[in-house]
Amino acid sequence: MVLPPFALHRPTTTAQALSLLAEDSVPYSGGTELLLAMRMGLIRPTALVDLKRIPEMQEIRTDRSRLLIGAGVSHDRLATDPLVEQHARLLAAAEREVGNARVRAQGSIGGNICFGEPRSDVATVLIALEAELGLANSAGERSVPAEEFFLGPYWTARDATELLTAISIPLPCAEGVYLKFQTVERPTVAVAAVRRPGGDYRVVVGAVGEVPVWADYPGVGEVDPVDLVGRTSPVSDLTGSERYKRHVTEVYIRRAAELLAESER
Amino acid sequence: MSVERRRVAGQAVQRRDLFEKVTGAATYTVDVTPPGCLHAKVVRSSRAHARILGIETSAALAVPGVIAVVTASDLAALFPRFGHIIPDHAILAMEKVRYYGEPVALVVAENIVAASDGAEAVQVRYEDLPAAMDAEAALAPDAPILHDDDYGASGDESFSEMAATPGLPDHGDSPPRTNVAHTVDLSWGDVDAALAQAHIVVENRVHYPMLYAYAMEPYNAVASFTEDSLHVVSSAQHPFMVRTDLARIFSLPLSRVRVQVPYLGGGYGSKSYTKIEPLAAVGAWVVRQPVKLVLDVEEAIYTTRADSAAITVRSGFDAEGRILARAFDIVLDSGAYADNSPLVLAKAVNRCFGPYRVPNLRVRGRSVYTNTSPASSYRGFGAPQGALAGETNLDRAAAQLGIDPVEIRRRNLVPPGGEILPGKRGIDADLPADLELVAESLQRDARTVPGHGIGVACTASDAGAYPISTAIVRVQTDGSVTVLSGSTEMGQGSRSVLAQLVAEELGVPIEAVDVVQSDTAMSSYERTTGASRTTTLVGLAVQRACADARAKLTEMAAEIEQCPPESLAQGDGVLESADGRKLAFGDIISRWFGGDAGEVTGVGTLRRDGRTQKMPPFWEVGMVGVEVGIDPETGVVRVDQLVTVADVGFAFNPKAVEGQDLGAATQGLGGALFEELVYDGPQLVNPNMVEYRVPRMTDLADKIESIVVERGDGVGPYGAKGGGEGALNPMGAAVANAVAMATGKWPSRLPLTPERVWRLVNDLPEVDAE
Repeated sequence: MVLPPFALHRPTTTAQALSLLAEDSVPYSGGTELLLAMRMGLIRPTALVDLKRIPEMQEIRTDRSRLLIGAGVSHDRLATDPLVEQHARLLAAAEREVGNARVRAQGSIGGNICFGEPRSDVATVLIALEAELGLANSAGERSVPAEEFFLGPYWTARDATELLTAISIPLPCAEGVYLKFQTVERPTVAVAAVRRPGGDYRVVVGAVGEVPVWADYPGVGEVDPVDLVGRTSPVSDLTGSERYKRHVTEVYIRRAAELLAESER
Repeated sequence: MSVERRRVAGQAVQRRDLFEKVTGAATYTVDVTPPGCLHAKVVRSSRAHARILGIETSAALAVPGVIAVVTASDLAALFPRFGHIIPDHAILAMEKVRYYGEPVALVVAENIVAASDGAEAVQVRYEDLPAAMDAEAALAPDAPILHDDDYGASGDESFSEMAATPGLPDHGDSPPRTNVAHTVDLSWGDVDAALAQAHIVVENRVHYPMLYAYAMEPYNAVASFTEDSLHVVSSAQHPFMVRTDLARIFSLPLSRVRVQVPYLGGGYGSKSYTKIEPLAAVGAWVVRQPVKLVLDVEEAIYTTRADSAAITVRSGFDAEGRILARAFDIVLDSGAYADNSPLVLAKAVNRCFGPYRVPNLRVRGRSVYTNTSPASSYRGFGAPQGALAGETNLDRAAAQLGIDPVEIRRRNLVPPGGEILPGKRGIDADLPADLELVAESLQRDARTVPGHGIGVACTASDAGAYPISTAIVRVQTDGSVTVLSGSTEMGQGSRSVLAQLVAEELGVPIEAVDVVQSDTAMSSYERTTGASRTTTLVGLAVQRACADARAKLTEMAAEIEQCPPESLAQGDGVLESADGRKLAFGDIISRWFGGDAGEVTGVGTLRRDGRTQKMPPFWEVGMVGVEVGIDPETGVVRVDQLVTVADVGFAFNPKAVEGQDLGAATQGLGGALFEELVYDGPQLVNPNMVEYRVPRMTDLADKIESIVVERGDGVGPYGAKGGGEGALNPMGAAVANAVAMATGKWPSRLPLTPERVWRLVNDLPEVDAE
């Protein structure tokens, strides 16, 4: 379908952007999800609020014990940025394999998260890294843990008048592996298995269900793939039946845990 | 046999369209917008099978910018259908719709946004009819009937000559009507007697998936009427075939219909014959202004797809693995309209049993109407479907007999010159030698570890379609040459090949040759661009046009030099007089006409006579081998090796041949491992490029070897014959055979997705019981 007409706002400060947001006046950065949805007639906003000219939305920096990533930063930059590579290697690794080259060049981390796509690579990793998501509106700011942000398919804790401004990752960052089974544009199942700074382990299973699920374990040997699969809610689609998805999820949890254990030897 | 090395032909010259395409300067149909052009959007059926009770257009006409809403009722003065074999295809649905996505109305507006808004505002009232969503349902005794009319269908001479037996639409005069659009049967010998005496009889049934050719450019057309002439710019492979359909629709003389084709963004058969040109044309006819129609990928998928197939094969073998008899039953799911499926069926029938000595044969083929997107030509033309049945059947026999898969083929392949179809042209290739090349390459790098398997498969396609070609070469006063051909440059590189041929024949620099193609008003006639024919058949016509130009130049030189024509010797871009003077072509023209002007026009024609009397014009070889590795836990199939043989007789441009060969193999890999259009209810689940998975660079084999074989055994210039489809045809079968070797289980359905392979390995049913 053809892109329907819309107004385009180009604010240069977060405050300006916030004053422009409304139910049918939506944030726009890379447009890799938004413009497709508009072309398909799924949404028809009257205005797009372009965030690309707001400098702080493009920042990557460390502040005391946190890595701060502006919501407008592209996947490509996250995949190659030295600060991210130094402090959050798992995120950099996952970002290198998001979508395809065009999506990585164009798409932003904030857009990825806020779209609420159940098969988001980024969501799985951010829960593993215990990221906090900074939300702002004209009334003020709040911070939501990544664990509590994803409420359902294409449904997040962000209110329509809110803007995701930054992603904040506590340092030192959890380290581990991100492994995904992917046959089409997006993963069928994604597993992030990490050793947390406190010494215990977290396994997050994304993409296969409506929202990511996770469990924490005192030792990597105690990861229980069968139990974790039981917490997911796979739905049959072209990439596999429910039965097959449960099976490969179990395989990938086990493989991720084994890889993590190996990396620690 | 080897081929002679030449000055230009046979060299890896740079493609003529390289910079234009890489820089984006190349013109495609979507780039063409004539002055005053309006834009159209198609209103499509939301039902698989339904009676149209009414079409409410007033809301659409009220949308600002909307000029007209065209429906079937506006076409009463026209011939409202198209279809070159069975003219069953309604331009706009009449009385009922037969598939989800079928054009019901065309909204014409000042801009595309208005057209889209207008299309959404058109209200169509339907009365649902029972639908037949697959061939099995369509063949059931109480199936809903899609077509109540036989449309006066008749295969013309060319059609019956391309089929081994002249099958005709199977409607007859007597009710009850069925959903069988077309039948083709082929047989010789006594199959039942031979099977009764066979050492073993091997039977299996396979399913080949519904595919989309995914040309990067979807279907586009721009139509305009001036005075009483129709001008259409379109993404068509066969502009002259489209012209015929358009002339019938508007009752126009052929000379008053101009179909012009700029560059094509890929065709793969999916752009052969008429597609959306009638839609754009009736829009322009109603509003009397130019109308442009641009489809997106989803609309393109609902315009044409490839025939899916269910095939049962039974073969009898002696104890040494020699084929005694083969019997095939082929059912193609051809969708709502016949389009070119009758010919796809005929080719599937001719090609399913393979390039082997088959003393007794019986093939029954049916092309079946279903309430799905209409199927038509697709690269390989019935061969990939048939080969999946025939070639996996051969491997099953080899396994039962304890014979190596390569060896069983060795024992059955026809020798050079041997007949595959009785009375037709013998095979113009050395298939046993080609097979050894594949086997050697595979064995050299084979890994004999668990989870790995090797598969080979062979095909030979009766290719080239029907030999009707013309060409014109115009030699200019500066010695440069303009070549006119009705063939289409669709990415395969024909523009470069034809330039090479002319440069070679006339002895002029390739830079001095320009090739003008695919315009029914401005280029010469060409029947089709398909069936891998251009280099071979257009090549012959061009070669004859060059000879004609040389003959005319010789006559002219003899006149101005006042010498006998025989005394003039032929040289590169020149004629040489008896006293050793070189007479340049351009100078001969200038002197003969006087006034430093004029040109010489050489004409070449090709028809069914002489060397192209016997059908098919040539055989196209498909000979591939793959090695796969399988992850038993996930069922993922990884291709380690891909070996193909491009047996093209003479490689005009070896780089282009390799590119075509690898492209064909990769497209075949798509159908083998990834691609399948899936219907769930009336509509497709995956009519888009995110969920319809085509091969990617990362899917390519670690080792790829494309072996270009030149034995000069083709009918074309310098011994050339067609390529570009061959490697696709056996790919599905080769991959299935490799997976069978790796897993010890026989797959019967493509694509071999991870889940299918996992289920195969674990003896699970194809789908779980509810």
